[in-house]
Amino acid sequence: MSSQKIAVYSLSDLKNTTDDALPNYLTSLKFRQSHHLIDVRLALGYSAVVIAAITFYADWKLGWDKTKYGTFWAVLVYFVLNGALTFWIWGVERGKVFVGDIEHRDAGRNTISMASSVTKHTPIYNLTVAYTNPKGEEKRLELSSPFTRWFDADGFFIAKPFQQWLASEVPLIGQIDTKNKIGNPKANGTSEATAVVVEQKIDTQTPKKTTGREMAPPSTRARKGRKAADR
Amino acid sequence: MFSALSSLQPRQFLTQILNFALVLSTAFMLWKGLSVITDSPSPIVVVLSGSMEPAFQRGDLLFLWNRGMDTQIGEVVVYNVKGKDIPIVHRVVRRFGGGEQPLKLLTKGDNNLADDTELYARGQDYLERSQDIIGSVVGYVPFVGYVTILLSEHPWLKTVMLGIMGVMVVLQRE
Repeated sequence: MSSQKIAVYSLSDLKNTTDDALPNYLTSLKFRQSHHLIDVRLALGYSAVVIAAITFYADWKLGWDKTKYGTFWAVLVYFVLNGALTFWIWGVERGKVFVGDIEHRDAGRNTISMASSVTKHTPIYNLTVAYTNPKGEEKRLELSSPFTRWFDADGFFIAKPFQQWLASEVPLIGQIDTKNKIGNPKANGTSEATAVVVEQKIDTQTPKKTTGREMAPPSTRARKGRKAADR
Repeated sequence: MFSALSSLQPRQFLTQILNFALVLSTAFMLWKGLSVITDSPSPIVVVLSGSMEPAFQRGDLLFLWNRGMDTQIGEVVVYNVKGKDIPIVHRVVRRFGGGEQPLKLLTKGDNNLADDTELYARGQDYLERSQDIIGSVVGYVPFVGYVTILLSEHPWLKTVMLGIMGVMVVLQRE
């Protein structure tokens, strides 16, 4: 998925691609992903759909008069399940994109959950990270970063800067993924400088962009690219 | 186009399918809920003919209520004739029985010259309130039902619409 090109001006494309990349990165670090949130959601949703399907079939086969009382209960249960599903999505899942735990030789057993969000028309990725260390202490972090940090101007997701961002901002991940951790994690505001370095690196990795810029006089695509990079 | 689907994780794929199924099933269950509340198998109907002009035009959307069983003369009712699929909207012009006896009704279209005895099933010369009537008209919205007239006169439009809806919901992730 991350190799696919997306439209850089589409906020939902940016967010979805990043959301998909998160579990990939964390499971590569030996985090075990727990699927219970989405499993409950699927169970609630599909039970409701099955009830509707049975109602539909009974109504089609037997007609209204015979199914009247059954339909009353089916409608009731359907909307209760639907309400539970809505509550689950808004009240429990709350945009969580990763829930899991890790057993690490230095850090011990930690549970972690991450919820992402974006504000309308603002290309900034907000991530709420909560993790519990072996002593049972909970740590909550509110991170945010512009999407330009890990998307190039052409709309390709670049994993490296994204992983560096997480490893530098979340101490637990930094402890596990030491080679992606940049500088001193306590010092914030290093992002500007590192972002520049990272983008230079990306240019060498994706020769397509550099050649496009060198060969052709400023085309619309090049202008578009520069604009996105300025932000 | 479908590469976007195949690259999804199984759970994400199931979620996309679920979103589509929920749109369809919610629409259906809302309709059934309305049926339960109004006690009518078909609580919203569209006028298909001009037999009730000028009260109702072709394409008007009618809202039915089937809980008042003591139907009076002058009420507009929708009824089904045994052996015919299409419900008919006409006005009650005469009633027999009621109270202890089962209520029987005679109907007529405002724009028709004769009463409905011709339209009833063979040998039937009145309607049983409790069996034939699917509701009395309690409200209407003019003209919007024309969409369904188009859909029922050109059934392929339904397939096209459903197909477009399905593809959109499955492929979109908002």
